[in-house]
Amino acid sequence: MHFSEDDLREALKRKDPGEGFTQRVMARVEQAKAEGKTKPANGNGNRSFLAWWRLRPAWTFAVVALLLLGFAWGGYQYSEYRHGEEMRIAAEKQRQMEEKQKELQAEAEKAKAQAILALEIARAKLNHVLQQAQVPVGIDKIRRQRL
Amino acid sequence: MERSVGREEDRLGAALSRAAQGDSMAFAELVREHQGMVFSIAYHYMQDRSLAEDLAQEVFLELYQGLARIQSAAHLTFWLRRVTANRCIDQGRKKLRRREQALEEAPEPVASNAPADPLLLERLQQSVAGLPERQRMVVILRFQEGLGPAEIAEALDMPVNTVKSTLHRSLEELRKGLTRKLREVRYAFF
Repeated sequence: MHFSEDDLREALKRKDPGEGFTQRVMARVEQAKAEGKTKPANGNGNRSFLAWWRLRPAWTFAVVALLLLGFAWGGYQYSEYRHGEEMRIAAEKQRQMEEKQKELQAEAEKAKAQAILALEIARAKLNHVLQQAQVPVGIDKIRRQRL
Repeated sequence: MERSVGREEDRLGAALSRAAQGDSMAFAELVREHQGMVFSIAYHYMQDRSLAEDLAQEVFLELYQGLARIQSAAHLTFWLRRVTANRCIDQGRKKLRRREQALEEAPEPVASNAPADPLLLERLQQSVAGLPERQRMVVILRFQEGLGPAEIAEALDMPVNTVKSTLHRSLEELRKGLTRKLREVRYAFF
């Protein structure tokens, strides 16, 4: 079956929507006005939903990218925290060791002073004994007779 | 001829300005002027009178809510064609099954003149309705609205060359489809 472009024009020529179409449109407009609709009708809601639906891959990509960024940032923050904690613990240990060393040094100084004092006392006693030991025998005898 | 077209545009332009200021009568005039175009695009696309009327009403409602954006009578026609075409394609995807059922039940809308060959025209309408979404809309805009490839490309956001190749392919498919249907009819008779 052959057809010309004119046949196609004839088949697709404009149709009249029938009586009362304008009134029905105006009634819907009045209804929308009465409801105070500022947003487009239901069809538009569907269209925005469709638009969102078509953008699903983009949204998915955005969400995944955000999650990955979040994980990366979280991981970086955690490693920074761990590093800070390690540094703090090392500094604490160092400080404790230094304090212990200072205590030991103070004890050593004290022991040294005590040892020197003991040596001084011993030296004084020995000197006294030596002096006693060096007195001549005659003098010692006279001294005893006098007594 | 040019003068009458210019006068018509002036009249519609004036109606558009009045409608934008809230004049319901002026808006009704705009609806009356374009209802045939909007309804016919929807009807030829969906082959369902009630769906086509619903869609046409929604298009006019959307127009009412966005009247301030329309700059001229020519812009109004372009806007209506574009919005109707896009809504048809969106709705057509959702209502595919319903449309197939409604094809046989749909009452024929009122036509202004009696067709020359009713059988051929009916077959053509059915074949157009069977084309894929974009092809169908391109054929409707070309043969119902008499738009050129550049205008169709603008209305459907398609490259002009794609429109041309789509038209060519659609006509080929329509010819093949009609030949196949004729064979089926012959088998049924003989």
